[in-house]
Amino acid sequence: MKLNLYEDKNIKEEKVDIHFTNMRPVIKQLIDTVKSERPTLSGRPADEDLDDGEEIILDAKEIYYLDHVDRKLFAYTRDGVFRIMNTLANCEEMLWNYGFVRVSKSNLINIYKIKQLKPDTNMKVYASFDNGDRICINRSYNKSFKEYLQRMRRMG
Amino acid sequence: MKEKVKEFLVELCCVYTFISVLGAIVNIIAGTETNNINVLVMFATCTIATFVLFLHKLFDNFSPLFMMIAQYLIASALIGGMLLLISIFVSPISPRGWFEFYRSFTIPYIFLAGFYYYRVFSETKKQDALIKEIQNLQK
Repeated sequence: MKLNLYEDKNIKEEKVDIHFTNMRPVIKQLIDTVKSERPTLSGRPADEDLDDGEEIILDAKEIYYLDHVDRKLFAYTRDGVFRIMNTLANCEEMLWNYGFVRVSKSNLINIYKIKQLKPDTNMKVYASFDNGDRICINRSYNKSFKEYLQRMRRMG
Repeated sequence: MKEKVKEFLVELCCVYTFISVLGAIVNIIAGTETNNINVLVMFATCTIATFVLFLHKLFDNFSPLFMMIAQYLIASALIGGMLLLISIFVSPISPRGWFEFYRSFTIPYIFLAGFYYYRVFSETKKQDALIKEIQNLQK
């Protein structure tokens, strides 16, 4: 994608023009950024007390996967694990354009962070990430996972 | 529940039709004939097989390998029960008859399980390649 930047000290209102062939996720992400609607998740380090821990803004791009355990939602990143004060369903809706797809009742994974997709000898399929974690892709979500990948490729 | 029963009956009708048509073709080619008991046994076997395969949703949290083994064991137990009823109420079945029945049921099961195993691996390979392609498009 070609990027043109024009600096003009005299313009009254800054503007961004986007020329695109079809509305694909990367374009939607640019629009969200310009409109300041880019989804961000705020979380606190999972090992700190929720009342004392400092809230950190997490960029969706940095998240490997979200895990829902004991009615709590955790985001796994390169820098650690963060407790997210949101629901998995909300995150799924919010991060749909950002490569996040549901693979089980409690997991939402970022396809851009998948290092490898591989089945085990027991035929369970796992997505492995850079940090060494593996998330199982549940059989009942396999169809929607496949459809999501097809859609992302078409739109990509 | 009503929906599930309806779905099961539709699947059973499809499976039985397919098997009986296939059986008729084999009989024509081989020049053999079937009898009423054989037709009923075929229907009971189709019912057991469809019922066992219908249980796959219960095994969602288990590995496919575990699911296949569990389904095979359930099907074997149900078929054993069916053969026992036949040998008590219809006509005695010789040990060779038991063996032949289990063999004719086990071989296609192993074949289909192997096919499923291959499908899981090839589908995953394709999905992995697709993910790499999507990741490259984003760069």
